[in-house]
Amino acid sequence: MAIQISFLIMGILAVFLSGMMITRKWPVTAAMLLIIIMMLLAGMYGVLGAHFSAVAQIIVYAGAIMVVFVFVIMLLNLPPEELRYGRITINEIILIGIGFLGALFLGTKVGLGYLVSGLNSTTLINARPPYYPAEMNENVKNVSTLMFTDYLWAFEIVSFLILAAIVGSIVIAKKAKVNNAKSS
Amino acid sequence: MPSLPELGIYFSLLLFIVGLFGVMFRKNIIFMMLSVEIMLNAANLAFISASALTNTIDGQVVMFFVMAVAACEAGIGLALIISLYRAKSSIEIDDLRMLRG
Amino acid sequence: MVELSLTQIISTILLMLLGIAVGAQVAPIMSWVERRQCAIIQRRLGPNRVGIFNFRIFGLGQPIADAIKLLFKEDFVPPYVHKAFYVMAPVVPVITGLAVTVAIPWGSHVVVNNQIVNLQAVNLNSGFLLIFALSSLAVYGVTLAGWSSNNKYSLLGGLRASAQMVSYEVAMGMSIIPLVFIWGTLDLQVMISRQSEILFGFLPNWGLFHAPVSFIIFLVTIFAETNRLPFDLAESEGELVAGFLTEYGAMRWSLFFLGEYSMMFVMCVLTVSMFFGGYEIPWISQHLLLDLLSPTFGEALTRWILLPIGIGVLLLKVVLLMWFFVQVRFTIPRFRYDQLMKLGWVYLLPIALVNLVVTAIITAFIKFH
Repeated sequence: MAIQISFLIMGILAVFLSGMMITRKWPVTAAMLLIIIMMLLAGMYGVLGAHFSAVAQIIVYAGAIMVVFVFVIMLLNLPPEELRYGRITINEIILIGIGFLGALFLGTKVGLGYLVSGLNSTTLINARPPYYPAEMNENVKNVSTLMFTDYLWAFEIVSFLILAAIVGSIVIAKKAKVNNAKSS
Repeated sequence: MPSLPELGIYFSLLLFIVGLFGVMFRKNIIFMMLSVEIMLNAANLAFISASALTNTIDGQVVMFFVMAVAACEAGIGLALIISLYRAKSSIEIDDLRMLRG
Repeated sequence: MVELSLTQIISTILLMLLGIAVGAQVAPIMSWVERRQCAIIQRRLGPNRVGIFNFRIFGLGQPIADAIKLLFKEDFVPPYVHKAFYVMAPVVPVITGLAVTVAIPWGSHVVVNNQIVNLQAVNLNSGFLLIFALSSLAVYGVTLAGWSSNNKYSLLGGLRASAQMVSYEVAMGMSIIPLVFIWGTLDLQVMISRQSEILFGFLPNWGLFHAPVSFIIFLVTIFAETNRLPFDLAESEGELVAGFLTEYGAMRWSLFFLGEYSMMFVMCVLTVSMFFGGYEIPWISQHLLLDLLSPTFGEALTRWILLPIGIGVLLLKVVLLMWFFVQVRFTIPRFRYDQLMKLGWVYLLPIALVNLVVTAIITAFIKFH
């Protein structure tokens, strides 16, 4: 019960803080709030039994990606902006509403059954224990085994994607430098 | 009370919608990218919850791929922001209307 | 769901408190050690006066006097700072630095109330990755301090710290993976117990002899991660006044050091556990001692006897390594910033990658042959 309550609190806090985040004036404040959200999400992963994912979430998101974000925000050193919001049309509200309802349906047991397997949903979900993968103590081993067997090709493709991103970001940064040198 | 993975799916839904609002309404590119990160995190939460729900670990593996894609997106996006700021000295999305006559 | 008994909960809390207590004591003692060592290198005396009730124990009263002075200094917040972040920034390194100490393995295990109590308070399946996760968060203290001070020097210090941290974390992660290949686990306890064996008949089976290249890269990167001197570009007095510390004073200033030294301590513990056999005495493993002593004392009592011995050995190794840190600080001059980046990306990362591939091939060859 305590675990369920803590999960609820973490989830509600994460949603609340993300709502705060998108309405901040200072980008640094928003980045810090996002770091807290990511740590709360890591806690939720831990409760759901995905220990390795939780630790990786903190290392990669909070420890690397957000540091780069904060670095760029500090490098630009922007003043706090006046909150300026874009216009929203009635069509967009309707679309969001439809999406929300659809997602709400998918979140229910029946919808999840379709989403996850396309098989007979109720038997699939009821046949298994509610949470905690059975092999929780071997989480790292299982995840890596699956990653390097069934998902090997996806893994390789992602590695090429990362390589392309490295090359791409270097090219973008270099090009700007050359332009500056020419103009000055 | 729904079980924990189901709650996780609902939370991921809410987080995704908040992130979507952030992308739609903010005019600052950094805020838009931060909102995209929230949306990716919501997707990750959905994957992990689905993995706990079905008692498999495929969702956790996919979560790592999403994380790698997010890292690529952040790297490229921030490099673009910096080069845009050098060219325009502004990171408002409305100021980037070069193609508009 | 894992059901924890009361004994396990209490012992876990006690172990956490032990880690936090030791982690918090490192900063005052190390500041004294550092000043004395610096004085010895520069042929001075250093702080050797302050004693406790007329007992001058090499000036060991100095940390207490320093702490009292810092506590009673005026707590001044400069105008024009971003106040919330200015106050929050020193707390971040303290929290992360002290929280990491819960993952220190103090010994293998003891038996309390017929229950096995693991002497590593937090023993997750992902093992020492938890230490990396928490240590990578410590940089936010520096960056926040730099940003919120509203000072160009501080901002530059914060920028340098974040860029340095991201660059060196890559090489650090890559240098650790060969060890995971060799020991086949992420669990520090398993690693340490493997290292108690004997290699080639005369060497202790330490990670150092299995992966020397990893050890060198890891050592360099923990200097960079903890902002120690050859890499303390974030607060270099020569160019940046004091970097992110420029606007800080009194207790807030010392909180940064508390966190930094605690993190340094945990990083040294991690190094010792991975490369130097942790709490195991070289050549005499705890298994051996257990077999020797348990006929006379019984197994449970022997484990209790081994606990302080193990902690003593661990602390001895850590102290030697930290003394090496101090020695390096006053021997090697500070790097220039471009040299720092070049060292990280051009030398350390490719060497770590080659080391990773070579170790992987050799390990696979040994395993499948």
